[in-house]
Amino acid sequence: MHLSIVHFEYSIGVDPRAWRFLPEAARPAELRSRSPKLLPPPPPNRPPTFAHLTFLPSAKGSMSFFGFDTNLPRDRQGGPAASRGFFENPDPFAEVARASALEDDDAIDFEDTYDGLGDQLDDDQDAFNDDTFGGGGGGTDTGPVGKDFDFFGKTATVADAIGEEQIRYSLQHPQAAPAAGQSAQPAAAPAATATTKRSGYEKYSDPGFIPDLQAKSSVWGISQKKPEPIPTQAQARKMMSLEEVEAQMRNQGYQSSPVPQSISQHMAEPSYMRHHQDITLPDGFPTIPPEVLRAQLERGGPPPGMPHPPPGMPELHAGPPPGIQGMPPHLMMQGNLPPQNLPQGPRHAGPPPNQRPQQIPPPTTRGPNGGLPVITDPQQLVHLTEEQRNAYLVEDAKRAKRNHKIFLLSRGNGLMTPQDKNFITRIQLQQLVAAAGNVADSDPEAVLAEDFYYQVYSQIRGAPRQHPHQPLGHFAQTYLLQTGNRVGGHGNRRAFQSADNHMQRMQQQVQRAVEAAKAKPKNKQLIIEGSLGKISFSNAKAPKPMLNIKRPDSSEGPRPKKLQSDLSLSDRKSILTNIERVYSALMSMEDMERTMPPPPEEGDAEAIQEHMEWRQKVHALNQKLWHSLKVMEPIVPNSTTPHPFIAFLSYPKGKKAIPRIFRHIDQEQRVTILTMIVVHLDSLDVVRLAQPVPGEAQFSVAMREAIDLFSLAVMPSLLGYVNEAPFNIIIGLLGLVIAQTHVQTVARTKVGLGILTMLLSRAEIVKEAGQASERDWQQWVEKFNVLFDTLEPALADIFPGSINSGDDMYVWQFLAAVGIGASPEQQQRLVIAVKDRVMETVAYSKTLPAEMSSQRLGNVNLFMRAIGLDVELLG
Amino acid sequence: MADNEDAGATVAEPLDLVRLSLDEIVFVKLRGDRELKGRLHAYDSHCNLVLGDVEETIYVVEEDENEEEITRTIKKQEEMLFVRGESALTTICNGHRR
Repeated sequence: MHLSIVHFEYSIGVDPRAWRFLPEAARPAELRSRSPKLLPPPPPNRPPTFAHLTFLPSAKGSMSFFGFDTNLPRDRQGGPAASRGFFENPDPFAEVARASALEDDDAIDFEDTYDGLGDQLDDDQDAFNDDTFGGGGGGTDTGPVGKDFDFFGKTATVADAIGEEQIRYSLQHPQAAPAAGQSAQPAAAPAATATTKRSGYEKYSDPGFIPDLQAKSSVWGISQKKPEPIPTQAQARKMMSLEEVEAQMRNQGYQSSPVPQSISQHMAEPSYMRHHQDITLPDGFPTIPPEVLRAQLERGGPPPGMPHPPPGMPELHAGPPPGIQGMPPHLMMQGNLPPQNLPQGPRHAGPPPNQRPQQIPPPTTRGPNGGLPVITDPQQLVHLTEEQRNAYLVEDAKRAKRNHKIFLLSRGNGLMTPQDKNFITRIQLQQLVAAAGNVADSDPEAVLAEDFYYQVYSQIRGAPRQHPHQPLGHFAQTYLLQTGNRVGGHGNRRAFQSADNHMQRMQQQVQRAVEAAKAKPKNKQLIIEGSLGKISFSNAKAPKPMLNIKRPDSSEGPRPKKLQSDLSLSDRKSILTNIERVYSALMSMEDMERTMPPPPEEGDAEAIQEHMEWRQKVHALNQKLWHSLKVMEPIVPNSTTPHPFIAFLSYPKGKKAIPRIFRHIDQEQRVTILTMIVVHLDSLDVVRLAQPVPGEAQFSVAMREAIDLFSLAVMPSLLGYVNEAPFNIIIGLLGLVIAQTHVQTVARTKVGLGILTMLLSRAEIVKEAGQASERDWQQWVEKFNVLFDTLEPALADIFPGSINSGDDMYVWQFLAAVGIGASPEQQQRLVIAVKDRVMETVAYSKTLPAEMSSQRLGNVNLFMRAIGLDVELLG
Repeated sequence: MADNEDAGATVAEPLDLVRLSLDEIVFVKLRGDRELKGRLHAYDSHCNLVLGDVEETIYVVEEDENEEEITRTIKKQEEMLFVRGESALTTICNGHRR
């Protein structure tokens, strides 16, 4: 908060601290009354500085509490004389400017509070400027003012310390720097006056001097922050100051003040048109684009076109004495400096043109770009030689390219804080430790638990690995190595080295972390003897448990839930529970499969024993799975609730489980499942709920998904069994379909037809192969005839929807299967039953594009060829 | 995987009920007047959920010119969604059978 006040004070060109140096007489009353409020309190933790100690007496001794001047007239009399020597800056112009600004101040009436001494000072003080600023060498008479305190003497002796103090302070408090710098200026200046040696410009008279370049961010901050408020004040001052300055100059016989001289000097140089324009403005400096100045800084010194820095920006080109460094340029230019520096005018002002060659070393010795001039204005290019211009353009292109590259690289800069980066590094390290730590365990279970899906994936991909955990073991090293190579692969030597070091450090860190992880106790809790608490460990993979609930052991305790679930086998929850049990058993069995011991050799008792144990476990799991499937639950005829296994199949996850189940059960169990499905064919959800509704072309999305899933997941498993099933089982299944289910309902669905097709085609294959005994075949034909007779009236209805619905291939497949097995008489009836559909399809296919047309005709041909016909014959 | 051996057999803790809804359509109410309906692919002990084919409904209460509150719903469809357990208020696992 107080910083912003400082800036405000500062922005109107008044530093309250600077006023402490003024005699009470010279201080405007408005400031006296305001300064106590506005002055920022010194930072509490700041060690006492000389600046503060020195100023305090003046504040206490002579500053009035209520803003009135408490000095007696006799004290004021000595004003001019008193100001000599250490009140280096009476700033008469500021007085008047402030006076005019004060007139509309409501709080304090200017006329009431202003004692008029400022007006007196205007004339009087000019005459004593010599004495005041050391021109006459009479700066030591300090008696009357401080009464008993030698301000100047003290200040002069500690001027250096004050300067250092201010720099230190401004470094510690960068935001306070402007104010600090400003207040430092008056402090340092008297010292300069006393010795008449420190001007801040001495360095420029040294021919070999290379400016000490310092790009202080505060400098930019200042010059860009304040352009708004200054001009009014500056103009107000200037109005008064022109005459005054002139008068001063005339009076004291000096040729020029620094500002006019530097201006005239630059006038002569067209290449600095812009600078000189800026400078001639009352507040020109801040409008100089910072990039221009920065470019000059980059070049390492003033270019030939600019042999001497304009006084308006000394801190950019040289390291002036510390006290002046932070001082805002406009103050140096306008209000305070000219009178103060007048005695040294010839020395520190711009040197006469004839001196310049001596002072400025040849530009070729400076800067990295071989003396190329700085181009700040397109006009300058015109004045250059062809060679220089080319060189400049090349240089410029290079710089632009580099800047662009830097820009590209730095686009993401600053997005992550160091904390973010640390956090991510920690996570990565922890991952590495977790990955590497498992190697120490060498427990395949743990490795699997660590990254199960990766392990399964790599097994499926058949990666040639001896140990499943081998890749993880080297993961950390590989990771680090790769990263190191990548970083080191390109980039210069230095970058490589640092990256290398970094990677080395990282590796060491990982190693240490791994060591620590190994050293850590393996159990998750540590109970220190004698203490009451427990310490639990955690890592990324196993977070610290907040609750430790003991799972009920599977073997212990009664299970009321189970009793209940036995009672209601077909409610939703118990079905879902069954499904989960099945999946648990499946996962265990798949796990067992992975841990299968190698087949035992003859005589290796231990291996045989191991293998036997494994088989027992597998068998137990198989029983568990079988039990969970509920296939063997008794079939309740005419029950309203479906059989548990059929309910199981009505869930998508139940359907998806079938292929996995089939891998783990024997033929006996498979045929049982197939039998269950066939017996309940018309109560399967994909049959029962998939009856075509007249008027509705398609089923709901969910039903179509269910049918597709059944076709994709369940049917292949069943087909896989049926294709190897003995003929009598096929006959039995067909008998079950006829006896137990509503055949016409079954036949109207894709799944139902699919299963029938499966059975019929298997029978045909058996017959073709000549494996069927005569008796069996007779049995089959009997069943087939019953089926055909039952189906015949419904044959026209087994097609899905209208002719253009597309997917009717399965129907033609079924018809083909029927047609092959049918007697010639049955084939005749078959053709009559589906003749309309055949003709429709042929006619419809003519309206379709060639590809779709041939597809549809091909489907029809499946059937036609089965009965010895072809669509071609239909013309 | 071995620790799953018996987990599905009984409902011993609340999350076992969520387990029953795996691969089912679930309805999740979230903070910030949001609801999700989608197929539950995965969950964990923090009730973080992975949902597939999610329909997200956002209820926005707006005031019209008469300062009467109007509830507007925004619907979004997501193929796959990770729901942070923190943001879930309720997970309704039954119903929504199709």
